[in-house]
Amino acid sequence: MAREQQLTQVFVEVADSLIDDFDLIDFLHRLSERCVELLDVAACGVLLADEHDVLQVLAASDENTRLLELFALQHDQGPCVDCYRSGRPRTNIDLTDPNISQAWPQFTPAALQSGFLSTNAIPMRLRGRVIGTLGLFQTRGNTLSEADTALAQALADVATIAILQQRTLAHSETERGQLQYALTSRIVLEQVKGILAERWQVTTDEAFAAFRAYARAHHHQLSHLARMIADGEFDTDQIPRTAPHR
Amino acid sequence: MISDGMAEVLRLLQGDDGFDAAAAVAALAAGTLGVSGLTVSLATGGDRAELMWCTDEAAGSFEDLQFTLGEGPGPEAMRSGAMVLVPDLALVRPERWPALSVEAAGLAARAVFSFPMGIGAIRVGVLTLVRRTAGSLTDGQVADAQVLAHALTGRALGSTVPGPDGGALLHAVVHQATGMVSVQLDVSLPQALLRLRAHAYSSGRPLTDVSRDVVARRLRLDLNGNGNGNPSPVSDKD
Repeated sequence: MAREQQLTQVFVEVADSLIDDFDLIDFLHRLSERCVELLDVAACGVLLADEHDVLQVLAASDENTRLLELFALQHDQGPCVDCYRSGRPRTNIDLTDPNISQAWPQFTPAALQSGFLSTNAIPMRLRGRVIGTLGLFQTRGNTLSEADTALAQALADVATIAILQQRTLAHSETERGQLQYALTSRIVLEQVKGILAERWQVTTDEAFAAFRAYARAHHHQLSHLARMIADGEFDTDQIPRTAPHR
Repeated sequence: MISDGMAEVLRLLQGDDGFDAAAAVAALAAGTLGVSGLTVSLATGGDRAELMWCTDEAAGSFEDLQFTLGEGPGPEAMRSGAMVLVPDLALVRPERWPALSVEAAGLAARAVFSFPMGIGAIRVGVLTLVRRTAGSLTDGQVADAQVLAHALTGRALGSTVPGPDGGALLHAVVHQATGMVSVQLDVSLPQALLRLRAHAYSSGRPLTDVSRDVVARRLRLDLNGNGNGNPSPVSDKD
């Protein structure tokens, strides 16, 4: 698909989400997938700062636990932390550069081990404040052009708007309330991955694939369905164990 | 960034061994947050809650009322997992909390702010701030209250097991393991997290490592041996 067509698709999705009651985590997951396609990167994650100014993973282009853990490693070191603190993008960071591995001794080897050669971090800005970052990884030595960086910033802004726009909650009066709710939803999702994986005796990644396929097919919000499962208010036998093709 | 006042509250909270200093800490917290009083209630199942902190009668009466009626900012925050901020009770549509709107008129609470205490689907309780006069919290006060609610959550969940988690709760794998253990042991999520922490403590390993083993199915807490989840006497680590 041409970039223009892909961009059009993103805009359609964004417009839809801003009209309807939408699921934030699922939206950000899809947005991360679009970032991967549009920017020609290998992986993308959306990180949001919590009340302690610590970055937490809200969504990623690939839900596998290994990638989530790699983003989680950036809570105290790595390009996303630098970007969050400075408010400026950090692009085309060469992970094989010894200076980089020295600066981020835990993050760099973990990223290299996952097959990533370079990384980028784009700030998510809200009225002069930075609320989180978009993290991008590349497996080839390719770089982000200036145009790519501008597009990445636009996508990061879309993520910010979506977070503040979520209407899942009738009474989220404040931005802080919305941010906190988003982070809580993410944790519920992880707890439910564990519940389903153990019930079905599959991996957490497989459990999530089946869960998401069911939620999408039945127009359930991921966060809402996850909360019902965690509270024992939903019979999970209704969910087919193997994910239908996506 | 939290305020110096809240940093002091958290410091006192850490040093506090239980009940003696709680009243003073709670009063200091209320002052820092610019409210007349506050309550902390612990969830005891369903919509019920048990009062743990209460600075004064006005805050206590309001808390009693909303949990007796099962409606209001506190019960709503506990149910939804999101903060509920009401700068002026008089401006709330009566249909939002019908019974409360009638009963609360006689109480000295004009502004009420409730912050959920919990980790994901684990609901520990709720922190409720009460002020006699109408008006919003500042952004900094909201941030302070969130941090306090977070600290109280850790305390409520971890009081039986010493040892720091560090940043363990940032890791998806800890939450996944919590879910798995809850099914393995047929216990609630908070109990599952406690069992995980107890195992980490008794085996002298970080919570994230233990969680990774559970998720990878190298460890089950329901099998006997050292995986039974009960903290065994700690060996001398010197």
